[in-house]
Amino acid sequence: MMGTSCLLCAPARLRRAWCVASMALALVLVLAGCGGSAAPSAGQSAGPNRLSVLTWSGYELPEFWEPFAQQYPNVKPQFTFFAEDAEAFAKLQGGFQTDVVHPCNPWWNLYVAEGMVQPIDTSRLTHWDELDPQLAALGRFDGQQYFVPWDWGYESILVRTDKVQQPPQSWADLANPAYAGHLALWDSGESNHIIAALALGFDPWKTTPEQEAQIKQWLIAIKPNLLTYWVDFTELAQLMAAGDVWVAANAWPDTYRSLLKEGVPVAYLEPKEGRLSFVCGLGISSKAQNLDLVYAYLNAITAPQSMANFANEYGYGVANRKALPLIDPEIVALFELDDPTALQRSVFYQPLTAQQRQRITTMWNEVKAAR
Amino acid sequence: MENRQRLTILMVPPGLWLLLLFLVPLGVMALYSFRPAAPDAHAARLTLDNYREFFANTAYQRLLLRSLWIASLVAAVSVVLAYPLAYFLAFRAGPWRVTLLTILIVPAWTSYLLRILSWRLILGSNGILNSALISLGLREEAAPILLYSQAAVTVTLIYVWIPFVALPIFASLERINKSLLEAAADLGCPPWQAFLRVTLPLSMPGVLAGFFFAFIPTVGEYVTPLLVGGSQGIMYGNVIQDQFLRGLNWPLGSAMSLVMLVVVFVLMAIALRFVRLRELVEV
Repeated sequence: MMGTSCLLCAPARLRRAWCVASMALALVLVLAGCGGSAAPSAGQSAGPNRLSVLTWSGYELPEFWEPFAQQYPNVKPQFTFFAEDAEAFAKLQGGFQTDVVHPCNPWWNLYVAEGMVQPIDTSRLTHWDELDPQLAALGRFDGQQYFVPWDWGYESILVRTDKVQQPPQSWADLANPAYAGHLALWDSGESNHIIAALALGFDPWKTTPEQEAQIKQWLIAIKPNLLTYWVDFTELAQLMAAGDVWVAANAWPDTYRSLLKEGVPVAYLEPKEGRLSFVCGLGISSKAQNLDLVYAYLNAITAPQSMANFANEYGYGVANRKALPLIDPEIVALFELDDPTALQRSVFYQPLTAQQRQRITTMWNEVKAAR
Repeated sequence: MENRQRLTILMVPPGLWLLLLFLVPLGVMALYSFRPAAPDAHAARLTLDNYREFFANTAYQRLLLRSLWIASLVAAVSVVLAYPLAYFLAFRAGPWRVTLLTILIVPAWTSYLLRILSWRLILGSNGILNSALISLGLREEAAPILLYSQAAVTVTLIYVWIPFVALPIFASLERINKSLLEAAADLGCPPWQAFLRVTLPLSMPGVLAGFFFAFIPTVGEYVTPLLVGGSQGIMYGNVIQDQFLRGLNWPLGSAMSLVMLVVVFVLMAIALRFVRLRELVEV
């Protein structure tokens, strides 16, 4: 039994010691048991006739995987949830056992590098040919397919059109003093690193140390504009509805939709550098127990109707092109889902290495600690 | 003999619990703090780099100081506010004592998270405080008061801790032999002097316990600053959490946790020593 986070090239005894160590720490940190022979009852050990899925909360609704329920009426998928990518990664790193994982593309390189996932046999995917090849290409690492693209979405600037005379044209306009005290930024070092880099005209994924220093300065300099760093999107929706926040970055499509539904006058902007966009993908854990069930689940969840149900529920884009006619036309128009150039105009999130993540985290904490 | 055996048997489950779920993980974390971070995360060697990084980064030290300051402030104000409460319960409440004690503790039965979130409702722009000020004509525009600041974090934490601080003070006041106070009065002590020279010193163990009940968890606090601290209220605990999750840097997170643990231990040792000496002087 081996934790995936464990040392690959160390002597066996040390390796085992670190494994035990990682697992014990993980037990405390994420309150998740470790798999393996040492503690089989603690984790979500997937028996031969069980399927476990680690996914975003809200992604478990039965209408997203209905064909699976028809094919295997006796197998009830066990869902475990995470609220952000870092949490899912920490869970698996601590030895959490699951069959299917659902991280987003900036994190996938780490799963592959740590050996947490196995390549997908695309010949077993019934809907493979219907998926957007551009999105599918992001799931290829070392010549092998590791994830099936599923949902994609934007991150952009949301403004209260009744409160803001001059909406931002560029990411750099977030620094406009007219928004003083009414700006909210997502409490995420990664996304703020990216928008600061775009505002300053840098390539966010190839920053030099001097550019990183400027990014930090820019983020400190806009602090007087901030009301808060928002943590969860319901909080952001409340703050915007109450009129406390006029300009919010990086807002997601579902926040925009829920505010529109409430009748709050908001606009979802497209800055001149482009909106940010991401794709999340379904992959197979390297410890998956029953591959037949896993592929049946992947086939069910990638079916056009399943994906359309998801788009209709949350307003995100989906990878299966055949789902388009089944999606509510209003949502299609809102996010230009039928315009193939819309995604190309956006700035796609790119993978970060562990070192980059460490540097960005340090930078972000220094920004938050600054006055 | 039999008693002792029984006691030993009773001590085994909590002892095992503490060993497995507290001491072992703590040891593991200590080990982790000497591991290299990425890109050498898989190397099987030990290093002091994480501690070097902590001591080289003034932002981390400043946040630790800020957390210690907020924790001291929260604990001190909680003690000051909880003391009269406990005093009233112990000496003046009479038959109402149990009822009032229950009322004091009732808020603690609801979720910690709920109590923090309710402060957002009180301080928010559509909150109770704002509505009241606007209807009184003291404020014209609705805007969050205090919210998203260090002050909001402090106020919220004081509110959360008052019942927990009041309990040990109440317990120590209740144990005071009333005849001591009568003796003080007989010997011509005015009430305030009796309080300063008899009641207060005798309740010091409770005061100290209450202080540390609030101080210790507050140093590592991260939920409250996350919810009401906004862009200015970040604390040391938030950085530790960030290192473990988004930073993928368990070694640095572990080192930072251990530094905090050592600092709290040292402060506690100093405080305990200080108080014991004072007790000797008073007696």
